[in-house]
Amino acid sequence: MSSTTTKTEPREDRETILRVEGLTKHYSQGSGLFDSIWPKPKVKAVDNVSFEIERGETLGLVGESGCGKSTLARSVLNLVEPTDGAVYFNGRDIANLSGEELRQQREDMQMIFQDPQSSLDPRMKVGTIVEEPMRAHDLYEGEREERARELLEKVGLDPQHYNRYPHQFSGGQRQRVNLARALAVNPDFIVCDEPVSALDVSIQAQVLNTMQELQDEFGLTYLFIAHDLSVIRHISDRVAVMYLGQMVELAETEELYENPQHPYTQALLGSIPVPDPRSKGRRGLLEGDVPSPINPPSGCRFRTRCPKLIAPDEYDMTEREWADVRRFTRAVKRRTFEVQGEAQLRSEFFEQGVPSGKAGDTVETALDSLLSEEWDQAETLLQESFAEPSICAQEKPDYTVETEHGMDVHHAACHLHRDGIESTANAD
Amino acid sequence: MAEPLLTVENLQTQFFTEEGVVRAVDGISFTVEEGELVGLVGESGAGKSVATSSIMRLVEEPGEVVGGTVKYRDQVIIDFEEGPDGERRPSDEMLSNKQMRDEIRGNEIAIIFQDPMEALNPVFTVGSQLKEFIEINRDVSGKEAKQIAIDMLREVGIPEPEERYDSYPHQFSGGMRQRVLIAMALSCEPSLIIADEPTTALDVTVEGQILDLVDELQDKYGTSFVWVTHDMGVVAEICDRVNVMYLGEIIEQAEVDDLFHDTKHPYTQALLKSMPRPDETVEELNPIKGVMPEAINPPPGCRFHTRCPDAREVCRRTRPVYQDVSGPEGYPHRVSCVKYESVGYEDSEPLDTEATAAFGGDIIEAQGESNE
Repeated sequence: MSSTTTKTEPREDRETILRVEGLTKHYSQGSGLFDSIWPKPKVKAVDNVSFEIERGETLGLVGESGCGKSTLARSVLNLVEPTDGAVYFNGRDIANLSGEELRQQREDMQMIFQDPQSSLDPRMKVGTIVEEPMRAHDLYEGEREERARELLEKVGLDPQHYNRYPHQFSGGQRQRVNLARALAVNPDFIVCDEPVSALDVSIQAQVLNTMQELQDEFGLTYLFIAHDLSVIRHISDRVAVMYLGQMVELAETEELYENPQHPYTQALLGSIPVPDPRSKGRRGLLEGDVPSPINPPSGCRFRTRCPKLIAPDEYDMTEREWADVRRFTRAVKRRTFEVQGEAQLRSEFFEQGVPSGKAGDTVETALDSLLSEEWDQAETLLQESFAEPSICAQEKPDYTVETEHGMDVHHAACHLHRDGIESTANAD
Repeated sequence: MAEPLLTVENLQTQFFTEEGVVRAVDGISFTVEEGELVGLVGESGAGKSVATSSIMRLVEEPGEVVGGTVKYRDQVIIDFEEGPDGERRPSDEMLSNKQMRDEIRGNEIAIIFQDPMEALNPVFTVGSQLKEFIEINRDVSGKEAKQIAIDMLREVGIPEPEERYDSYPHQFSGGMRQRVLIAMALSCEPSLIIADEPTTALDVTVEGQILDLVDELQDKYGTSFVWVTHDMGVVAEICDRVNVMYLGEIIEQAEVDDLFHDTKHPYTQALLKSMPRPDETVEELNPIKGVMPEAINPPPGCRFHTRCPDAREVCRRTRPVYQDVSGPEGYPHRVSCVKYESVGYEDSEPLDTEATAAFGGDIIEAQGESNE
C-alpha cells in the first residue's frame, strides 16, 4: 500500500518473495546544461508505492494509461533506477544493486513485454532467442538446444519450430516464444507488462490459460500488469489499483471486484462494458482527464475527479447541495459551459436553489464573478472555499477496511473510510 | 417499415496481391435503419475495416470492390452490371467519384477512425482542421465555419473550446482527440456515421465517456451508426443489431439480445465463452483453438470448421447458406452454419480439427507446410 505503516500480518504458510517499500520514480524532463542549472519540474511517475508479493501468487496491477504501471514494473526489476525506496527480492535489496551483481540477480526475475512483435529480434531464430538468456547467465551449457525445444513444447508450440523466425508466427504464438524465453533461466518471478493486450480475444484466452498452467508447473510468481479489468480478474489472486503514480486500493481479487471501497476503483469497475445486453451498467462515471503527474493534486490524487469528494467540515450542507456545489466548482475549473445569463446558470447548476449560509454566499459571489466574465476570480474563489479545505486535499489517505470476501487485508486509500463519515458520504 | 438508410448486398472486396487473390470481404449483406446503431464485430483479419472502407469507396490498390450493391437512401454507392462482352462494369446509376466526394462523404456518411492521432494532421491546429472540413462540406463562410467548429467542440465536451480551437493535436489527450473526430464527423450533420474501432485505443473510463456521448448525440440528432469493434462488451452496451464477421463473411446477424442470449453460431458461442468477464469470476476460459486462417486461402466448406468445436465431416464439404432462425417477431436472426440446414449434419462423422488437437494456435504453420 502507499504507506509502510500498515503492515500485513505475518502469515506462516506464505513466504514473501518480493517486498516493495516506498518505491518512487521521478523522471527529469531534460538533461542538457540549462536543465541542470534551471531544472524543470519532475514527472512523478511513481510515488511512494509499497506492496508485497507472496511466492506462487499473481498480483494484478491495473490502472489507466499514464498511471505509472509500467514504470513501477520496470523499477521493481531495476530496469529503470528508482529515485527512492527499496525493493527486497528474497530478502535482498535490489534497488541499490548495480553492475554485475544486478545482472546475476536478474537470473531469478524475468519480464514479458506487451508487443510480441518488437520484443523479438526478427533476425534471430526462435531457438536462439530462447537460448539467449541461458548464454547470458552461463547456464545449461551443452544442453541448451534440448532445453529450448522442451520449453517451446511447454508453452504450447511445436518443438520443430526451433529453426523458424519470429515473422513466421502469429501474434499469440510470438507471445508464447516470449514466455519460453522468460522461462529459459528458470526464474522465480516474472513481470508481465500487458502480455495479452495486443492479442485477439480468442487468442488472449489461449495465452492466459498457458500462463496459468506454467505457473502451476514451475511455481512461478507473476506481477501481471494490464489495463483490462476482465483479464486481471481472471488471472490474479490479489489486485492493486493505481491512479496517477500511487496505489489507491489493494485487496484479494474477489474482495476488490465484489466490494470495491475506493471511488476510483468503483468508477473503473462501473465503466467496463459488460458483454451482456441485459446488464445495463452505468458508464462514463468520471469526468475530465487524469491530471498531469508533474504537479499532481495534493492529498488524495483522485480528488479532482472523485464523485465522492468530501465537503469541508466548516460548511453545513445536505448531500444534494454539496453535489451541486461540487459539480459547479469543477465545471468552472474546467470551463465546460458558456455563460448566457443568470437564469441559465442557476437552472443548470442549482435547480433546487443555492445552498443557504456561508456556502451559499460563496456560490453567489462566484456567480456574480461569472456574470461579469471573471472566470479566474470565480475559479480561485471556488477552489479556495470548497476544493482546498476538504480533507481530501489536506491529507494523504491510507486506510484498511473490513474485508467481506476472503481473509486478506483490504487497503483503500480514501478518506471516506476515516471513522464515522462513511454512512453520510455513501449516500451520494 | 420504412426503407433502410443503408443497404449492403453481397458486397465483395478483393486484394490482388503477388501471392494471390485475398478475398477480404466475401459477399456480406446487411442493412442499417434510420436512427439505428448496427455493430460489425469480429477478430482482427475478419474484414471489418475493409467492409467499411468499401462502403465509403475508399479501398485502395491493390484492393478493389468486385461485386455487390450498396445503396444509401435512393443513391447508389456501389452497383455493377454486365457489359456487352460479359465483363463487369459499374452500372449507370452508380455515383461518380466526384459525386461521392461532394454529396456522400462527410455530408451524408461520415467516418471516425480508430487512431485519432493518425486521422488528425499534426502540423495544423485542431480548429483549423475542423473549420476546413466544415467549409468544404457546408456552404458557409469562414467565420460561420469557425463558430460551428467551436460549437461542435463544446458539444462533444471539450472544455474551453475557444482556447482549445488553436491547440495542436498533440496537446490533446487520446480521449479528447477522439472527441474532436466525433465533432468533425457530426459537424456536417450526416445521417450515418461509420465508426471504425473508435474506442479501442482508449482507457475504459474514457471509453465510457465516449459511449455516453454517442448515446446523447444519437438521441439529439437521430444519427445512425455502423460501429466496428472487436469488443463484445461494447457491442452489448450500445448496439441495436449486430453482424458477426469471420474471415470475410457475416456468420451471424441478430438483434443484440438474441445474439447474446440465443446465440446460434458456434463461433459466436465460442467467442463469448473465451472472454474473461468483468462482472463474475470465471474459473476456466475456453479459448477458441487455433488462429483465423488467412483470407488468401480460406478453408473449403464452412470457413470456421477448422476451429469449430462442433465441426463434422459435412462442414468441410458444404458451404453453409443463410438460415433464418428467428422467432415470429422482430428483425430476422440469420446464421450461416450447416447445423441449421438439412444436409446431413446429424449423421456426419465428427471432424478431427484444431479444436480437438493437442497444440493450439498452429494453423498457419500447418497450411504453410502443405503448400511447400
